[in-house]
Amino acid sequence: MSSQAADYTLRSFYQQESARLRGEFESSGSSEAAITGRTRVVDKLALDLWNQYVSPRVDSGLALVALGGFGRQALFPHSDIDLLFLTANEALAGRVKDPVRSVCQEMWDIGLRVSPTTRTLENCSRFDQDNVEFVISLLDSRFLAGDAGLFERLRGRNLPQLLTRECDALVQRLTEVTRTRHLRFGETIFHLEPNLKDGPGGLRDFQVSRWLAIITSVGNGGPWSDSPAYERNSETDDIRAALDFLAAARCHLHYRANRDENVIHWEAQEELAARGVASRTGAVSSAEWMRMYFRYARVVHRDTTRLLDQVPRNRSSLYRSFQHWRSRFSNEEFSVVDGNVFLQQAVGARDASVVLRLFTFIARHGLALSLETERRIQNARRGVTESMPQDSRLWEHLREILVLPHAAEALRAMHSLNLVTLGIPEFETIDSLVLRDLYHRYTVDEHTFLAIEVLHCLKDNDLEWLQPFGELMTELERPELLFLALLLHDTGKGLDGTDHVHNSLQLAAAAIDRMGLPAEDAQTVCFLIASHLEMSSTMRRRDIYDPETVRELANKLGTTERLKMLTLLTLADIKAVNPEALTPWKAENLWRLYTGTANYFTRSVDEERLHAEVCSEHLERIAALLPKRRSQLLKFLDGLPQRYLMSHSPEQVILHFEMANQLRSDPVQLGVRRVSGQNELTVVTEDRPGLFAALAGILYAWGMDITKASAFSNSAGVIVDSFYFRDRFRTLELNPPERERFNWSIVQILCREASLDSLLESRLKADTKPVKLKVETRLRYDNDASPGSTLLEVITQDRPGLLYTISSALASESCSIEVALIDTEGAVAHDVFYLTSGGMKLTREQQRSIEWALTTELSDSLPSSW
Amino acid sequence: MTKLEAIIQPSRFEAVKDALLEIGVEGMTVTEVRGHGRQKGHTEFYRGREYTVDVLPKVKLETVLPDRLVDAAIQAITNAARSGKIGDGKIFLSRIDDAIRIRNDERGETAL
Repeated sequence: MSSQAADYTLRSFYQQESARLRGEFESSGSSEAAITGRTRVVDKLALDLWNQYVSPRVDSGLALVALGGFGRQALFPHSDIDLLFLTANEALAGRVKDPVRSVCQEMWDIGLRVSPTTRTLENCSRFDQDNVEFVISLLDSRFLAGDAGLFERLRGRNLPQLLTRECDALVQRLTEVTRTRHLRFGETIFHLEPNLKDGPGGLRDFQVSRWLAIITSVGNGGPWSDSPAYERNSETDDIRAALDFLAAARCHLHYRANRDENVIHWEAQEELAARGVASRTGAVSSAEWMRMYFRYARVVHRDTTRLLDQVPRNRSSLYRSFQHWRSRFSNEEFSVVDGNVFLQQAVGARDASVVLRLFTFIARHGLALSLETERRIQNARRGVTESMPQDSRLWEHLREILVLPHAAEALRAMHSLNLVTLGIPEFETIDSLVLRDLYHRYTVDEHTFLAIEVLHCLKDNDLEWLQPFGELMTELERPELLFLALLLHDTGKGLDGTDHVHNSLQLAAAAIDRMGLPAEDAQTVCFLIASHLEMSSTMRRRDIYDPETVRELANKLGTTERLKMLTLLTLADIKAVNPEALTPWKAENLWRLYTGTANYFTRSVDEERLHAEVCSEHLERIAALLPKRRSQLLKFLDGLPQRYLMSHSPEQVILHFEMANQLRSDPVQLGVRRVSGQNELTVVTEDRPGLFAALAGILYAWGMDITKASAFSNSAGVIVDSFYFRDRFRTLELNPPERERFNWSIVQILCREASLDSLLESRLKADTKPVKLKVETRLRYDNDASPGSTLLEVITQDRPGLLYTISSALASESCSIEVALIDTEGAVAHDVFYLTSGGMKLTREQQRSIEWALTTELSDSLPSSW
Repeated sequence: MTKLEAIIQPSRFEAVKDALLEIGVEGMTVTEVRGHGRQKGHTEFYRGREYTVDVLPKVKLETVLPDRLVDAAIQAITNAARSGKIGDGKIFLSRIDDAIRIRNDERGETAL
């Protein structure tokens, strides 16, 4: 038979066999038959060509070796064929070039994509740091033809010696290469169009587990095993099932694309689902098929990650010390071993409250759930289901988890055990949900967890353009509400309909109601979800430098706290779309929109006041609560800044109105309540000079640390001042009778029946220690922000009695405080006052006089000229 | 063929894109850029800190058109991007010698 005829025969044979294998796969769905069948076919072709071109010319010192997937006898329909021509020495390598070239050329002509390499035995025994892939490929080497003794020397002597010698370096390099590969995929399996070979949780990951096991076993003088990792997991069906699933899907992708295609594109997802590839229940929806994919990919990914995590432990004493240090986190409920958490009592796995505490523990310390604990929880599913709370008890746990630094990791671990959906069934709508979108890269649930992670990582981020957002994060009063809004913001994407925001809001409202959040908190979370596209949309469609854009946004948001939360939610939502979605350009625009709106809140207070004759929608809603006393209520509100309505709930406004109505019989009305771990003092009384300074002085005298305050007055001269303060010495908390004395001292001093100076005397004596100033004091006037007042902005270091110092200085300069907005962020106090003197704006001379007084009081140096 | 580069306000991009699609311009390259012309910039304050905003965010849109579409494209962009204020942006035109579609080597206007 001529060579050409032989080639034609071999090509026909390959084509016929390939068609047969494809037909069998399509009818049986067995990937095992397809990949081992193709291996046998290629084995035969390689042998025939070897016998035709090589055997007649070389009788010893040369072996034909299958590597990679071919070596493992797992050739997918369009996988490359990795071949090694192993020679005894360099001289022989030179002599066999022609026959080797002929074999490879013929294989290409047949239609096989061959990756050949010719190496001497000595070459194969060397470790090249830059070509770790070759040594790894030798782990799957399989003798095909030629000098069997030569191959045996490689497999039985040289390779084990190499593995022993370079065990550490090989493991490290393989780990690095794998981690780099995972990083390319954002270290998550949850891609909308995943790569089932190279992506995390793909077939390559399984091979990494195998290779690590082989290197460790053979490198430590142990037995050579073809598939130790597989045997290691043979007691569990999970990995086997995952491999079967991934292999069947990969076969289908190869046949479908007629090439080595490993990405499950959307069209392929539809087809795989419709044909029921690897599905035990036959045809399913593409969403359901992808859920199966993610379930199996997770099994593989977890196994690989666990092995990779063990690598540094064996190699690095520093890492070992770190893990040893982390074992100190162990307590009576949970133990920590090598960074994995175990339940101390197996029975705890049945108790949802123990399980929720376990995930709080993980969220706090950034630990991994041990496989053993995971299985215990899975096996105790019934008990967990029965005891899982869905009411306020769940919120108590969840709020703690959400604000802890490793919340996203804990939530992912919970979600993989279906515990998130157990507590919040509404989350099930987005479980592994693939939405076809050109921009989104991850499933909706992973996008959600990633968004939460983005916010937690802001604090430690190194990028300069993200740092202002990190600072903003530390200023939030109720971060748990923002995180809850993020957790639920896209749940509506799992429902039919085009308005996912509306759907999310419906689902979130049900969950929030069940969890029993206080009405004010529930409103905030719902507001954030309902508005989660508002700032993105404003940035895209409106001129963010246009004052009208800013004014409209500010009116929608209402308060600075909501603005902060929505800014951060917007940032996280964009960044969690894909790694490139948040550009410095977008972040800068968001920050500009934030600062513009925040400044608007501060500078527009005096400009927009309520008028009884012009009722806004908001005003109408409040008036509707007291229909019979509408005119009295509107009279009380007349002249108060719009900001007052925005920063108080309708219930609070009604309460203030009722307090104002009591003024005739009792000229000082007080209200003290606990809010978010702080105290809030509300005072409603007739305005008089120095009133604000007196209140700040009383609080200081009692050792209270004012963190926020606001002062408003209506056109009838009734003031509504609110102070948020921390009780530095826990006076009110530890001595309940003192509360009465505290209230009484406020009333007496405001009614001039007691002296503030004598109350302050002991405090001033106690606070003699000088404050070490780290924040430069800055003052700024704005005479244009308000039609009737001069705006004074004070930024300085917070210290005991600061507000008293400032407000006293202002009072001594005969200034009236029309509006005050007091804020403290960490060590920095940011106070804004709208001042008048004799009912007019301040003159330049008065401004200079105040500036001198304040800088003398607040700084140990002269003011900066900003 | 003519290459059209337009620097516009980000807030006008969607309207401009829709207007171009309407007259049959389907392909374009869009870049987030910063810059200033006569608009210069301004100074802002936030928490007592001064921020000089000297380069402002803009969107750069590039497209290559058959000559017959150029006037309509200019009209579409100016209509959609004009607010009448300084900072609305600019359009630049330049001649293009040839275009090649990488997939199939088509050349000239058919490659657009």
